[in-house]
Amino acid sequence: MEADENPNLPDAEFLGQTGAKVEGQTRLEAAYGSGDGDEQSIPSASVAGGTKQHEQAHLGTVFDQSYQSWGGSLNPRWARNWAILRHHVYGLFSTGHRPYGIATKLILFAAFLISLGDLGMSFISAIFSETEMHRVFGVSKDNLYGHVLGFWPRNAICFPIIAALLIGGIISEDRTHGTSAIYFSRPLNRIDYTAMKFLSVAIVLFMLIVGTLGIYYTGDILMQGEGWAFFLDTLPIFLGAALAGTILVFTYSSIGLALSSVSRGKFFPAVALLGIFLGMKLIAFLIYVLFERSVLYLLSPYDCVAHVGQALVGTTSTYDHPWTWSLMSLVVINAIALYILASRVSSMEVTRE
Amino acid sequence: MAEKPRPLHDKVWSKLDRKATAILELTLRQYRTRLSTWAVLSVGVILVLITVLFYIEAMNSEIEAVDNDGDSVDSDGDGYPDGQENLLGTSMNNANSHPGLFDPPIPPDSAEDWINEDGYDFSSAKLGTSQGYDDDGDCRVKIGEVGWSSWVDENRNNISCDYFFEMRGFDLEVIADPNVDEDPDEDAYFKETLHRSFVLGFGKIGFVFVLGIFVPLFLASGLIRDEIADGTLHYLVAKPISRAEILLYRLLGYVALVWPYFIALAVITGIITGFMGPSDGFFRFQDLLVWFGIALAACLLSLAYAALFMTMGTIHKYGMVAAIVFGVWEFAMAMLSIFEPEATVSRLSISHWGMVIVDGFSNMAWPDSQYLIALGESTSRSSDSPWGERIYSDGMPGTEAFSSFFHTTDLTGNPLQDALIASGVLISMVIIMLVIAQSVFKNKEID
Amino acid sequence: MMPDIAQTGQVAGERLPQAEVPAVMLEQVSKWYGNIIGMNDISLAISGGVTGLLGPNGAGKSTLFKILAGKLKPSQGTVRLFGIDPWKNTAPFARIGYVSENDALYDWMTALEFVTTLARLYGYTREEARVKAERVLEFVDLKDVMHKEIGKFSKGMRQRVKIAHALVNDPELIILDEPLQGCDPLARTTIMNVIRELGAMGRTVIISSHILEEIERITEQIVILNHGRLLALGNVHAIRDMLDAHPHSIALSTDRPRELGKAFLDHKEVFGVHFPEEGKLIIRTHNLGALHADLPQLITDSGFSVTAIDNPDDNLESILTYLTGGGD
Repeated sequence: MEADENPNLPDAEFLGQTGAKVEGQTRLEAAYGSGDGDEQSIPSASVAGGTKQHEQAHLGTVFDQSYQSWGGSLNPRWARNWAILRHHVYGLFSTGHRPYGIATKLILFAAFLISLGDLGMSFISAIFSETEMHRVFGVSKDNLYGHVLGFWPRNAICFPIIAALLIGGIISEDRTHGTSAIYFSRPLNRIDYTAMKFLSVAIVLFMLIVGTLGIYYTGDILMQGEGWAFFLDTLPIFLGAALAGTILVFTYSSIGLALSSVSRGKFFPAVALLGIFLGMKLIAFLIYVLFERSVLYLLSPYDCVAHVGQALVGTTSTYDHPWTWSLMSLVVINAIALYILASRVSSMEVTRE
Repeated sequence: MAEKPRPLHDKVWSKLDRKATAILELTLRQYRTRLSTWAVLSVGVILVLITVLFYIEAMNSEIEAVDNDGDSVDSDGDGYPDGQENLLGTSMNNANSHPGLFDPPIPPDSAEDWINEDGYDFSSAKLGTSQGYDDDGDCRVKIGEVGWSSWVDENRNNISCDYFFEMRGFDLEVIADPNVDEDPDEDAYFKETLHRSFVLGFGKIGFVFVLGIFVPLFLASGLIRDEIADGTLHYLVAKPISRAEILLYRLLGYVALVWPYFIALAVITGIITGFMGPSDGFFRFQDLLVWFGIALAACLLSLAYAALFMTMGTIHKYGMVAAIVFGVWEFAMAMLSIFEPEATVSRLSISHWGMVIVDGFSNMAWPDSQYLIALGESTSRSSDSPWGERIYSDGMPGTEAFSSFFHTTDLTGNPLQDALIASGVLISMVIIMLVIAQSVFKNKEID
Repeated sequence: MMPDIAQTGQVAGERLPQAEVPAVMLEQVSKWYGNIIGMNDISLAISGGVTGLLGPNGAGKSTLFKILAGKLKPSQGTVRLFGIDPWKNTAPFARIGYVSENDALYDWMTALEFVTTLARLYGYTREEARVKAERVLEFVDLKDVMHKEIGKFSKGMRQRVKIAHALVNDPELIILDEPLQGCDPLARTTIMNVIRELGAMGRTVIISSHILEEIERITEQIVILNHGRLLALGNVHAIRDMLDAHPHSIALSTDRPRELGKAFLDHKEVFGVHFPEEGKLIIRTHNLGALHADLPQLITDSGFSVTAIDNPDDNLESILTYLTGGGD
């Protein structure tokens, strides 16, 4: 039968040849190779009433793979990425997004309050017009630096804990629960996936570390009634501290995400992050106290950021080696972390691992 | 049914050794297959090696000698150092007065002879007893001279040119006559104090604390939690074995892995520092006591933390968050107990008691440490005054580190007792935590 | 339940007096999770033979098994395994083997190591445990692969490892929660043979499954749960008999269904006939026994040829469907 004899039948592809009729009997025979029983032993399918050129079609045919492009419309890339970002960040504030435990939310809130501690002290000094107290707690190089990079208690307790809680399951939960299948079976780039997860952690950390710095800075200026001259004088210091804080946020996020992509659980990445930051700091500190050698600080991510921060803000350096070394070390640490993250995410299966 | 039913009055706590070894072997083999075990243990080894490398490098370096009392200078340019002239009675400021004019003339000493010539000669680590001998004679020459009797016995203990130790408040102080033991050997002192600071600092911070808390955090919190998460817990629970037994044997499996690890690390580091450290013989045998204390503290501390984290891991939902927060609290308390040992709040933490054990054993092994610190702090650098007036500044190199790491134990005053008390506290903490853990676990439903 | 030789079935709630302590006894056991009721006032006693536990999803089968295994605590009521409460005292597990529906195993162990190590928890020495493990692995037909890692096993082999582990201590009570799930037909046959053999040896076996045909092939004693309630327990046929309200059907294959049907309409026990398709006749009755007695006579009297007679709804599926409200 020619294709135009029955114009009502849609043009179809069958057994690799166009124009063949796709009817029930044909399908059946093609599928099960059933015939009259006296065909040759080679499994073959006979096309019912097919054209001469494909009377005997063997079951070993490879079908012509001709794809038609999908004519539907896709959201712009930023909209898809925003969906991922929103899912992660809004989860902190409302239901219907990524669930965070109540303990995590409480601790983040407590961290927020602790970060604003120096603003509180400054506020008290402003109320009671205690200039002495304000000299201690008001905006200055040391205080701006200390807000983001002071070790005790911020970087010893507060910031590592919140970083650990945020990055805990961020990629490992996808590996454990198999929701990576949902992500990667959509028109999503793996780079976008990683970048949005990274951003979601970084944004929260940024709010808590640098955002509070900004609040402290503006709040103090407003409460003290300082003028524009003061603002312009201190702006470079503030920007330096903000940049240092951003570097800290970036480092926490990259190391944290790399750890989360390596593990399967929520707990190991969090503890490993704490271990790397606090443990290395402690060992480097020990070496320094004993042997007066500060070179091991290059292995401690916190100290590298602090050293660079000291250079940016302009406070006195507490390390014996040049800050460029710390910067180099920071670049290397972040590069390694991002490399691990990239290789783990790119090899993540689209199934439950 | 072929045989008659087995009696059920067999209590579940029976044939302990067989069940215990079964779960112990299971735990050890599980650890062996996990990447995290290898990662954590090898990171520990690497950190230990790095610090030991720093130690070896420091031990191989030389501290330059400093003339603390300034008597190697030749003020009058007659070729004789001031110290020699002072000892022999000639004038230090007059070039025409020098021992070369004696009969027979005495040859001049080189300047090096008068550097580090009057080292510490303290004989016993006791309060109040007279110590010290004036090697270079700049105090002794004045004994018997008219008008100098009160000068040579400034500390009013009726013995000239000596010193003694006294507790003033919380500080140990040197009450000294002038110019006694004022020019000690910097290198020897530094090596000794550095060695002791290393053993203590590394032992307390590196070993007992960092390893003592991170190893259990990684290895012990999954003892029950991983079984629940993986769904294999029912293989252990639906057996004629009590839930408390399961906890105990799992912990035993952890101990079988971690204690040998700590002991091996302590032994290796102890051997390396024992050979490389300053000693009269070829090996510092007195340090073995301290390393024993460090290993003991690390083992007990890791056991206590393991029991705690295992329990927290069982409580499921917020257990692990609590474990992280608790870990950071312990970190803070350990820092406090190292740098502010008098703060009593640190007694609430587990790590404090580990530090007390190390302190107790170090006090037993090195009872003279405090005295060494006091002397080091009181020794000054060279000053302009030819009489070497003591200036309470600078101190000997290595004193600061040593004084920050060395503490006396302040519970009963007897270091052995204190160490034993601390060990007892840790062991009872372990028992209490196991009791809590097993009652939590007994009531835990497993889905 | 003792094997129901008289085929009389049990009304739910009644218990036969037991000569010795039954293997499993539940008395008014309820279990709830917040507002959700998992098990609702279930009482039963089981001892000897293979018992099938049936019910749709969410009926409470797994909850029941977990309570028996000592993993969950009943909110109300008492559970006794060999007379001892498993939540408080794990001693009865020396005589119990439990196969959970959870697929988790120690994938890094070989089958022999797995069964041996867990056997030692019963108090056997290493040698004893190994010998028992080898014997039981042979029993489930895993002898040639017992030195292979479990991670490399197929699903059917994993199920057999779990069953082997449950049998290693020669238990008198064996509880199997969905042992046939995910198995290929060959593995299913092996496992079913094992279960039947265990039942024949006199052990008490409780097995839950969704695959009703296989339960039917293994046992006739069943327990039906739905929404946490006990709906029926006893012999399949006896239960069917008791479901008076649910009309029985007899299916006849004949070439003259309508004529044959007319012949039946006069019978007083027949309340309906219908013709589902060409050549088939379904007769509805409330009294199957009486109709069965008169059936041969009626057929020969009618003179029509009948090629097949069948009871289409005397099977588990239709009972279950009816009881669980699947409608008819």
